[in-house]
Amino acid sequence: MSHSGNPDSPSSPAKERLVFKRRGVQIFGLGWQDVIRIFFGGNASLAIIILILICFFLAKEAFLFFPDHHRDLNSYRQSGQEFVGFMGEEVTAHTNLYSSANIAYFAEVNRTSRVEDTILRSYRSVLANVENRSSKTWGRLEREIDALEEVEDDLSDLDPETEEDVAEIASLTEEKRRLEKEIPPLREKLKREVNTILSWDEIWDLGVGAEEPPADSIPGIREAVLFEAFPDAEEEHPFIEKTKQISKEKKAAAAAELAEFKETIKGMQAVVRPLKDLERELKEPALENKKEITSFSTAPERRDAWLKGAEATRDPEEKARMLARAEEVVIKEPDYAAINQVFYDAITRHASIAAPLEVEMKTLFDKLPTPAGVVTKSAKENLKRAGVFYDRFQESMASNRKKIREWSHDHPVTVVESVSAFLVGKNWTTNSSWHDFYGLLPLFTGSLLISIIALTVSVPFSIAAAIYVNQLSSFREQSFIKPAIEFIGAIPSVVLGFFGILVFGEALRNISQVEWLQWFPGFPMAERLTILNAGLLLAFMAVPTIFTLTEDALNNVPQAFTENSLAMGATKLQTVFRVVVPTAVSGVIAAVLLGFGRIIGETMVVLLVAGNKIKIPDFTEGLGVVTQPAHTMTGIIAQELGEVDSGSLHWRALFMVGMVLFVISLLVNFAAQRVLKKFQKI
Amino acid sequence: MPDQESEETLSPEHSSASTSAQQPDLADVVIEVDDVNFSYVKGTDVLRDITMNIKRGEVTALIGPSGCGKSTLLRCLNRMNDLIPTAAITKGEIRILDTNVYDPKVDPIELRKHVGMVFQKYNPFPKSIYENVAFGLRIQGIKKKSVLDEAVERSLKSAGLWNEVKDRLDTSGLGLSGGQQQRLCIARTIAVEPKIVLMDEPCSALDPISTTIIEELITQLKEEFTIVIVTHNMQQATRVSDKTAYFYLGELIEMDDTIRIFNSPSRKETEDYISGRFG
Ligand SMILES: Nc1ncnc2c1ncn2[C@@H]1O[C@H](COP(=O)(O)OP(=O)(O)OP(=O)(O)O)[C@@H](O)[C@H]1O
Ligand SMILES: [Mg+2]
Repeated sequence: MSHSGNPDSPSSPAKERLVFKRRGVQIFGLGWQDVIRIFFGGNASLAIIILILICFFLAKEAFLFFPDHHRDLNSYRQSGQEFVGFMGEEVTAHTNLYSSANIAYFAEVNRTSRVEDTILRSYRSVLANVENRSSKTWGRLEREIDALEEVEDDLSDLDPETEEDVAEIASLTEEKRRLEKEIPPLREKLKREVNTILSWDEIWDLGVGAEEPPADSIPGIREAVLFEAFPDAEEEHPFIEKTKQISKEKKAAAAAELAEFKETIKGMQAVVRPLKDLERELKEPALENKKEITSFSTAPERRDAWLKGAEATRDPEEKARMLARAEEVVIKEPDYAAINQVFYDAITRHASIAAPLEVEMKTLFDKLPTPAGVVTKSAKENLKRAGVFYDRFQESMASNRKKIREWSHDHPVTVVESVSAFLVGKNWTTNSSWHDFYGLLPLFTGSLLISIIALTVSVPFSIAAAIYVNQLSSFREQSFIKPAIEFIGAIPSVVLGFFGILVFGEALRNISQVEWLQWFPGFPMAERLTILNAGLLLAFMAVPTIFTLTEDALNNVPQAFTENSLAMGATKLQTVFRVVVPTAVSGVIAAVLLGFGRIIGETMVVLLVAGNKIKIPDFTEGLGVVTQPAHTMTGIIAQELGEVDSGSLHWRALFMVGMVLFVISLLVNFAAQRVLKKFQKI
Repeated sequence: MPDQESEETLSPEHSSASTSAQQPDLADVVIEVDDVNFSYVKGTDVLRDITMNIKRGEVTALIGPSGCGKSTLLRCLNRMNDLIPTAAITKGEIRILDTNVYDPKVDPIELRKHVGMVFQKYNPFPKSIYENVAFGLRIQGIKKKSVLDEAVERSLKSAGLWNEVKDRLDTSGLGLSGGQQQRLCIARTIAVEPKIVLMDEPCSALDPISTTIIEELITQLKEEFTIVIVTHNMQQATRVSDKTAYFYLGELIEMDDTIRIFNSPSRKETEDYISGRFG
């Protein structure tokens, strides 16, 4: 506002003055704009603060794991459990070899009676179906027959001579007569029912992929089922009897032919016995030692607990009792050398067992048939695996012999040993009476295998879909494909997991039994919940992420590139694959990386669908490894964190797994951002 | 009013003017636009009754106020307008080398290999300089290194870029200056040896020096190619073109030798436009 003063007055220069005064509502001297700014800024910084707190908490809990774990490993060594564990490893290596040979043997023996076994299997399946459908009549008949038997029993116990029993006898006889009259029509009814049911097609549905019995056996099966409809039938129908007999004979004949095979397997089982016995024998003192060591290490804590309790209580009697208990706690360090003497003594015994075991196993292994020498697919595969397992057995014997010879209870566990026991430990065993192991490898391989499957399936699929939608499809197609794919992201993962268990798993297993798909490694699958199942579902879940980001990347390619390329006489496809996609390639890579992040971090689906078997999948199956169940890093946290004591080693181990996941995600995101930044430069 | 009078007599006069100018050497005509109407959306013609002939080895400049349809006509020639689903020629015929371009038997992809185009906004692909120039040959399936090498060198030389880039052929084309990038685009276009090169305001995004270089380049290139260039720069039109066509509101007002158009145009609108008294 202009000042209404004299222009020549020195106090107010002859100038127009504007008043820059804040307008509008004021809060603590701040304008509305500032308030909004502070509100949003506050939210952003709150998010960052929470993120930092989470990281800090995670890191703190996780890294406390290492000292605890280190102590735990030390006690594992000092108690001699480690020593026994070496033998355990040898036994496991032997068991792997033995059981694959064993499976091969039985596959060969059972092969000869395949037709009979199929008939018997179909018979049982049809019978179960029929029983199910006619369960009402069937059950009633059974009850009446049972009742009749009981009445007859009771009657035979009573004495018609004695006065008191006469009335009883009369009523029971009446009952007996009634039952005898009722049973035959019921029997007829059941027979009629079963006859009708047998003519239904679905009764003969043996499940997808199940082998059909030969056509000429169908009447026999039918008759046998009808025969079974007399629930009091003592024997089985002659047809079934006969089939069983033939099956048995054929198996016996095959076994006779494979006598040497059988002997070899029996030999394998026998030669390992001394080693197994020694291991079992040594386990006891080791467990004793463990108890002693644990008791020693927790003693101060226990005493403190009693003392604290005494301090807190008012009741003098109670106080005295608690103080006495505190006194009772002895803190006595075990004499490690003495308690481990038994193991040092066992070294020579082990050596005298191990050497002949190795020699005998070699001769036995050489006696096993070669994969070429057997007929069935299963036997071939298992014998091939037996070869791998034999090599591993030899390695295990050699390395463990050395470890046993050099073992000492008072070599402290090194930091490298303790860290690698976690990062590349092959066992994750918890709540065990022997010893808990926290090895990441089984979980890591599970997560990795699932992610690999998910990526190999979803990446080509999503990228192709994105290219199609963005570059080649008509507007109409775009307007429904895009929302449809994006909708996948809206499906709650628990619902997908449910679907995976109930529908997809079953379907996959059925598919795996189809005859002409048997070339696929690992088929037919025994399990419903497998790495493959989880991987495929995760692939589905990752599609929206990869698709949307890839589509964005393609969208960001300037239209001018397309136009230039077309004007050069390139076809649409040439333009897409030589100009558009190469230009967007870093965006596509970033999309894949973020998709990977999504996959590795997914919990619900893998927890429900992966089968949750904590074991490194058996890679000797080759690609068939994907048909095994596995557990994952995310799954284990979700499953176990609720049940562990906070602050325990197990608890910390789970946090450490979380930390590993966190680091992986961080790296992936970081890489994605780096790639994207490069992309934005063009 | 004089304006109205001239408006009425537009059609006959303009057609006679353009035919009279080119009648003598009809054999040399490579592009014949014959009474063409064009619309982007059905019912509204953006080009009306366009008839013009363009001769081999000549540079033809298309001038006219913004929105009068110069780019549209250019994009009709190599059928880039096909990319717009509703766009279509509603009347007349365009013949290039005696072939009706909009004949169903004509493959636009093949056509574009013979009718190259340089855009206003230079736009090398995010590939190396070498790959940019070799692009057109590669999409034609040529893989032989020696052929590609030869074509790249020849095109870059024709585009006057060879000496500047010969030591860094495998660096990104995006690392060049604006003028160099535009010349790279020209090299890319002529690498496939088209018969005709269409240029849509090739210099409007460039500095004066780059503009001069490209103008010189155009005068050299016309030995080999027939060039149609859209420009808003009158001086540029006089410097590079042999023929000039003036468009106004979708119609071809006048087409003649550049010297005649700029010195004694036969139409008043043309005179108004080129002398800046546009109204
Ligand atoms: N893709 C399109 N869809 C619909 N109409 C269009 C399209 N492109 C251009 N037009 C219209 O066609 C007419 C001619 O446009 P054109 O781009 O050919 O003009 P121009 O002479 O090249 O102008 P400028 O000198 O500004 O480049 C304009 O009215 C414009 O609005
Ligand atoms: Mg234009």
